[in-house]
Amino acid sequence: MSWDDLHEQKGSGNRGSGSQGGGSQDKPPFDIPQIQIPKFKPSMFWIILGLLLLVWIIPGTFYFVEPDEEGVVVTFGEFSRITTPGMHFKFPSPIEHASTPKVKKIRRAEIGFRTTQGGGLQKVPAESLMLTGDQNIIDINLVVQYKVMDSVAYLFNIRRVHKLVRSISETVVRGIVGNRKIDEALTTGKAAIQINAQEQIQALLDKHKSGVQIVTIQLQDVHPPEQVEAAFKDVVSAREDKERMINEAQGYRNSVIPEARGQAAQIVRSSEAYREEKISMATGDSQRFMLQYNEYKKAPSITRKRIYLETMEEVLPSMQKFVMGNNKQGVLPILPLKPGALGDATGR
Amino acid sequence: MKQNGLIIGLVLVASLISTSMFTVHLTQSAVVLELSKPKKIVTEPGLYFKIPVLQKVRYFSKQLLDNDSPPTEVLTKDKKNLLIDNFSLYRITDPLKFLETVRTENGARARLDDIVYSELRVEIGTHDLIDVVTENRNLIMAKVTEESNKKAAEYGIQMADVRIKRVDLPPEIANSIFNRMRTERQRIAMEYRSEGKEESTKIRAQTDKEKTILIAEAYKQEQTIRGEGDGQATKIYAESFSKDPKFYNFIRSMEAYKKSLKSDTTILLSEDSEFLNFLNKNK
Repeated sequence: MSWDDLHEQKGSGNRGSGSQGGGSQDKPPFDIPQIQIPKFKPSMFWIILGLLLLVWIIPGTFYFVEPDEEGVVVTFGEFSRITTPGMHFKFPSPIEHASTPKVKKIRRAEIGFRTTQGGGLQKVPAESLMLTGDQNIIDINLVVQYKVMDSVAYLFNIRRVHKLVRSISETVVRGIVGNRKIDEALTTGKAAIQINAQEQIQALLDKHKSGVQIVTIQLQDVHPPEQVEAAFKDVVSAREDKERMINEAQGYRNSVIPEARGQAAQIVRSSEAYREEKISMATGDSQRFMLQYNEYKKAPSITRKRIYLETMEEVLPSMQKFVMGNNKQGVLPILPLKPGALGDATGR
Repeated sequence: MKQNGLIIGLVLVASLISTSMFTVHLTQSAVVLELSKPKKIVTEPGLYFKIPVLQKVRYFSKQLLDNDSPPTEVLTKDKKNLLIDNFSLYRITDPLKFLETVRTENGARARLDDIVYSELRVEIGTHDLIDVVTENRNLIMAKVTEESNKKAAEYGIQMADVRIKRVDLPPEIANSIFNRMRTERQRIAMEYRSEGKEESTKIRAQTDKEKTILIAEAYKQEQTIRGEGDGQATKIYAESFSKDPKFYNFIRSMEAYKKSLKSDTTILLSEDSEFLNFLNKNK
């Protein structure tokens, strides 16, 4: 509050001098010479008059308008003219007054926080905590930037323009937030809030003929109140957790399915190989058999005998053999074909 | 002395002129009082004349003035307490009435606070809390402005606008709101986590199912293919071997001997066997 007042006094300094001019009218500027006259010689009067001219009339006749300012001249309390930057002439004080508002300056109203002298931020919870449509509370900081559009209206229509901008901005933003749900205000609705707020604030300022134009509304910071911030953060991390779990499951899927497909293909291929192998082997065997059979047919008993003996010839040499007589006396080894073969056999 | 007289005359004239003239600034209106009795009201800016000493001028602002009153508790229709902070914009439209009734802006402020709050109480008392916070805020403000304007007219004041700046719940309710917000968030967080679990489990189950099906399909195919192989082979064998089963029997046995009778085999050969039947021919 005190900050406001301070600021306001600074801002309204120009206008203050205007209204004082009207009030000081009943105090005549000639009062001083009237009192002093008996003490001085008549010739001194002219000197005093000359001094007065120097001190009062000459400085009161000129005024300067800086490049970022606009001069507004009031003649006998009535608005008379607007002047551009530079040096200008006017009638001295009781007749004309000049104010020089800074029309190019971007003025700034902070809602929900104050920038302190050191440049730090100081929170103002009473301003920043707002009730949303679904009866939650959120913490909003915003900056309203505005400038003077119509210096005459700015100077004369409203006594405390800065205060009005603040109050209206706060009202409008609260109204808008009150119409929204907390999740909307916290996330997607920010841009819409800014645009809406700017329109509505400007409309109200125009309605009261403030002569002020909103440059921007900036929502500096929209977040849940400190008391519940942890819970809100947890929701964000829960959402991340959800994504993570899904991703992990997808990862599992991505590793398992191709592997299974590979495995299945392997099974099928190996069975195919088995089939081909079986068929080829069967074909080979039968082919061999047929070829052999065709020859065998020509001399069956001889061939048969030959094959038998050849087989025996091939098989028997490496084996241990015992030849038994017909006397039925049991096993009688008589032909150890390989030396030590029997010993090997019994040694086992 | 002649000069002195001239000076005194000049000064007198000057002071007479200055006390008999007054300017009204464009931000002001004025009431001229003659011996404390209102004589004339000036609303247009400019230079005006008055009778010196006898007449005095009181100035009033014509600007839009603001009145920011401290927040107070108001009861809504659904019996809930609300802290309402409002501000009003007003203008002194009838300086004479203003002077007669409230005299100063400070006096006016006290009256305006009373008017606005009583109107606000009446109006908010007919609305539920939710209306005040949300949709109907503008309507309520318009109504209060209108009603206050009627009442303020008797003080020579025009109510330009009454706005609810802030609607807050009393601190003890704010705490329970925070609790509700917290539990609501916890609910949402839990929902997200279990949704994550749900999705994850679904995906895993689907994966396992697909894997099992894939392997089973493969098994099915495998067995079919192997059967095909075996069948074909059997058919081929049967076709060729059936030409001479006895020969097949013989030749296959010979094959089998070659394969199965190895060096670690011990064989007992009878003298009567086919292989040895020439061995004892001499006997």
